[in-house]
Amino acid sequence: MASRLEIGLRPQLPDPQGNGLRQRAKNYFKIAIEEARVLRVLTFDTALDQAQLDLAASKIFTNPVTELGSFGPLAAQVLPGFDWALWVGFKPGVRDNEGATAIEAMTDALGREFGPDEAVYSSRLYLLKAPRLNAEGAEALCAELLANPIIQRWRFIPAGEWDQNEGIGIIIPKVALHHEPVIERIEVRSDAELMELSDQRSLFLNAADIPVIRAYFDNPDVRKKRAEMGLAGPTDVELEYVSQARSDHCNHNTFGGRYSYVDLATGQKMEIKNLFKECIKAPTEELASQKDWVVSVLWDNAGVAKLDDAFNYAVTGETHNSPSNMEAYGGSITGIVGVYRDPMGTGLGSKLCAGMWGFCVGPRDYDGELKPLLHPRRLLDGLVEGVRDGGNKSGIPTALGSLIFDPRYLGKCLVFVSAVGVMPADVGGKPSHLKETHAGELVIMCGGRVGADGIHGVTASSAGFSDSTPAGHVQIGDPYTQKKMHDFLLEARDEGLIRFITDNGGGGLSSSVGESARSSRGADVDLAKVPLKYDGLDPWQIWVSESQERMTVAIAPQDEARFMELSAKHGVESTVIGRYTDSGMLRLSYNDETCCYVDVDFLESGFPQWQFEAQWLPPALRGLCEPVLSEPTDHAGLLLELLDSPNLCSREWINRQFDHEVQGASVIKPFAGAGQIVPSEAAVLQPLLERGAGLAMTQVFLIEYGDIDTYAMVAAEMDEGLRRITAVGGDPEQIGGMDNFCWPSIQYDAKTNPDGKYKAAQLVRACWALRDGCLTAGIPLLSGKDSMYVDGMIPDENGLRRRISGPPTMMFTATAPVHDLAACQSLEPKVAGDEIWVLGLTKDELGGGALYNHLGYVGLNAPKTDLGATKKLCLAVSRALQKGLMASVCVAGRGGLAYGLARMAMAGGLGLNVDLDGLAAVDGLSALQKLYSESCGRFIVTVDPARSAELRALLGDIPAACIGLVQAGEDLVINSGGKEILRLGANRMTKSFTRRFGGLV
Amino acid sequence: MSVRALVLTGFGLNCDFETAHVLRLAGAEAQRVHISDLTGAPGIAPSRSLDDYNIVVFDGGFAWGDDHGAGVILSTRLKNHMGDQMQRFLERGGLVLGICNGFQALVNFGLLPMLGGTWNRKVALAANDCGNFQDRWVELLINPESPCVFTKGLERLEVPIRHGEGKLVADDDTLAEIEGLGLAAVRYGNGKGKIAGGKWPHNPNGSMNDIAGICDPTGRVFGLMPHPEAYYRLSQHPTWTAIRERARREGRELGPQDEGPGLKIFRNAVAAAREAL
Repeated sequence: MASRLEIGLRPQLPDPQGNGLRQRAKNYFKIAIEEARVLRVLTFDTALDQAQLDLAASKIFTNPVTELGSFGPLAAQVLPGFDWALWVGFKPGVRDNEGATAIEAMTDALGREFGPDEAVYSSRLYLLKAPRLNAEGAEALCAELLANPIIQRWRFIPAGEWDQNEGIGIIIPKVALHHEPVIERIEVRSDAELMELSDQRSLFLNAADIPVIRAYFDNPDVRKKRAEMGLAGPTDVELEYVSQARSDHCNHNTFGGRYSYVDLATGQKMEIKNLFKECIKAPTEELASQKDWVVSVLWDNAGVAKLDDAFNYAVTGETHNSPSNMEAYGGSITGIVGVYRDPMGTGLGSKLCAGMWGFCVGPRDYDGELKPLLHPRRLLDGLVEGVRDGGNKSGIPTALGSLIFDPRYLGKCLVFVSAVGVMPADVGGKPSHLKETHAGELVIMCGGRVGADGIHGVTASSAGFSDSTPAGHVQIGDPYTQKKMHDFLLEARDEGLIRFITDNGGGGLSSSVGESARSSRGADVDLAKVPLKYDGLDPWQIWVSESQERMTVAIAPQDEARFMELSAKHGVESTVIGRYTDSGMLRLSYNDETCCYVDVDFLESGFPQWQFEAQWLPPALRGLCEPVLSEPTDHAGLLLELLDSPNLCSREWINRQFDHEVQGASVIKPFAGAGQIVPSEAAVLQPLLERGAGLAMTQVFLIEYGDIDTYAMVAAEMDEGLRRITAVGGDPEQIGGMDNFCWPSIQYDAKTNPDGKYKAAQLVRACWALRDGCLTAGIPLLSGKDSMYVDGMIPDENGLRRRISGPPTMMFTATAPVHDLAACQSLEPKVAGDEIWVLGLTKDELGGGALYNHLGYVGLNAPKTDLGATKKLCLAVSRALQKGLMASVCVAGRGGLAYGLARMAMAGGLGLNVDLDGLAAVDGLSALQKLYSESCGRFIVTVDPARSAELRALLGDIPAACIGLVQAGEDLVINSGGKEILRLGANRMTKSFTRRFGGLV
Repeated sequence: MSVRALVLTGFGLNCDFETAHVLRLAGAEAQRVHISDLTGAPGIAPSRSLDDYNIVVFDGGFAWGDDHGAGVILSTRLKNHMGDQMQRFLERGGLVLGICNGFQALVNFGLLPMLGGTWNRKVALAANDCGNFQDRWVELLINPESPCVFTKGLERLEVPIRHGEGKLVADDDTLAEIEGLGLAAVRYGNGKGKIAGGKWPHNPNGSMNDIAGICDPTGRVFGLMPHPEAYYRLSQHPTWTAIRERARREGRELGPQDEGPGLKIFRNAVAAAREAL
């Protein structure tokens, strides 16, 4: 018997959620709503009687002080005279976190377990007083603000049609597949037939892989072994397994590809046999062998480096672009919660201590002709909410993040999520970063259950929907379930129970079991033992499902009882699904029927490498040149415009919604200064409160340099990462790097990707810069990922679809220990009378910079990087910080000295008076160039005049000069050529800096 | 005899490590104890009891995801299993501190404000007026008239709030009684030592009478939305590098691990617990 509980704030209390809806309706759609109230709706599909339901309603779900709850419609009580009722609920199979915790609460309160056929579903009812809202507007609110048709459905009911007795009625989004699981046995007689099958089943097999796959299954020895298991040709489970494992997402075929590079200007040709091996693996291995603080790289879910003498940290980052582009909230929450499983599954498991985010989206106020699936404004709202809920509810500080606007991200947005964990170097006397499986150990799946989630990604979206088909291809992360699992697994680790652990991400069990079975040389798994969200999944679906919040763990059989006891204590579901073996074979069964029997190394060898043509044309030959600019008459006006520009203005509204202080570890926060609006150069955390060491982390994007040369882009990002870490007190000798590439498709096709060869050359050059930078600066890459195909076919108003390729993007993340937190520093000047120094040389390097970008130019002179010189400078700055010589350290980067000085003035609440004539700069620079040049290798610092001689001595021959003084008051004053060219109060700058997004709270 | 403090952990709580750490710095023998070890779980008998502790801290987090009102499901679970234990604990003079999610759980449990000594849900912590989760440092002004043992000797304090549901709501009579008994132990200040007067962002959530935390009439049960454990050391403060630099120019050297004023609340708790041993 089903019933519906409605809960709402008492009418005399204001409704913040309703107010938020009113604001967005007004700002986004110019829809006037006089009043809005939001009701929480819980639909119980249970065998409870009314007395039990009343108990649950009053004791659990309704707050007696602030809320009303009723099993009948509340609308008339909560908002008498409403004009519209809009109901929004999930489609079947979409993760319903509220529904799940409702069951948990009732299980305890009623002392009764709930059966598999019982469920609680959450939804929302929005009541609007909006007399002028018509049906079209009401539907627009549902479709474009309150719900996403991919995961939700809605009803919009005018007051005149409202059923006062039944309200919205009883709506139950239960999944019913009505399908008997089957194993398909397939005989493939030709390559063409397998290709056809691949198309039919959306396997996306590579044409070049097909003969390899066929050769394996046609091999007489293989045939013979398979016959003993009752198998002949491949099964659907096996083909899906190959498809997953060979996908570019899992196998990184693009990065592992062979490149024929030609420079069209010189005709010079280069063959790159394997881009990944030459540019990432080789330098990292070389550096790892030299540096004892590099603990584990290139193989596990995250890279591991030393934090101090007894603890290591694990770091990784990834992207979640395509799902976020379709369902921003679901995509970003799944992304952040998902990346948190990587450090959890690194070595024997680490404790999560930090998260970071990076969003690249189209302009928030875009009103051009293109019609992307989600407007950038809505997309960004969803991304922020997803990371907010995912990060905050995981109890992991969101240390910092970045937001980049560019119209080229209208094709596809980018969502970067990164995670850091800490682990003791030894667990039970063994190194914690190593792990192995052994024959006889149990294969255990922990955490969430398996549904048809993420299977074949977006291809499922085109399948026909009914009211009971699962809308599982876009998922919603469940940080609560994962947090419980995190706490559980750490306790199990510390008791020495875990032999091997890895997460279930892309590829699900096929990836986690497939990889862990390679260690023991085999596994035997019964897919029928895997707990499911609902019946009717085929074995292949269970094997490749990407249902979230799951880890695969190996434990010894004698530890099973204790492991399961801990699991129950933490409220986590764990299931033994098989055993590791040393048979050399991966054998899957469904009950008694074998459905997969392949060599564990089958996927490792024999598959052909991808090939790419790369053609480079240097920027000058592409027609790029420097713009011709005069000196502005109003420098102050120009700076205010830049401070207000979308890519430089304050991100306070986002960072404030993310808990960056939980775990008590915060040392340098995402903002600097008393006003807490100016972004810091990097974050520092003290992950282990009882120990002194800190961990500095930062991330850098310099997308526009890539429009000139991606080599310059990546080199400058590394340079800035090095300086940012140094600025906050991190050890420049122990910086670990992380590369997260997001690139448009680089495979040339005359029709669909005519500039593919150029994009491939951009990728090669970016990788060269990475290799050169790592080796020059001594920065090993602790981790890295790539996500290709950042392209979208976006329709305009006339339905003309245009290919929009994202700009080549690499997020460079840098981390380093801060051995003594006393070396930490922030960017705001602190004492009037201090000297202001600029360290490093300023050159004519405004190309791809913030000023040109603001004026609509690209330019030609992208900053050139000398990472050797920057490293030397950073070592000097680091020594100065250890001696307490610097009262503030700011990195001169994007927006140049002008933006750096403005940030310092806004954060410090003190005046700055500088004279550009004293700057260490190349000859012939105008004041405009001095202010907005983005030359690498520079810091702005303030120093106690009593100690500036010490600083000078420490810098040696590094170009540096004192250019002014910190003053009482709050004006930024800039002089040049004996004249004052700019005077701006910090308040005016702050107003411009916060104007654009200040109202978003 | 040492003061024993219990810090709840599990089911989405997430400030357990730092809260236990701060209690240890304050002189307590602190343990993180899983909720299931107190209440039992399917197939698992309780293995810990409040009877063995002098202080219990309901720390911050998102218990059960806070999906049905912050702190609600936690309080229900504790009510179902631990009512008698809690009664004994309070009668013995035990101290209860609820921080953020823990404060939300205490009001739903009915331990706060405990007017007339009875457990009742008289106060709610509703969604912030600004409509969003906020991480923001606020000024706390300590009510000198309050019987609260945790805030003795404190006048003002800077600490962060980190919540989406911290707006204290009560009916007029309840609010009058809370004020009359001095139970409004801490209020949001305007950054200059005066009360915030309801103004955002100084009062970050729209709490009635700018109330940030309340105690029971004995002063031994205390809950607050801000996080005092988030300012136990100097280097947690947003401008600690500036505080340090200015001290340095006056010839004083401050260290990142120097004690922060938030620790005083925990020291007070340990001292009060010690008196009752």
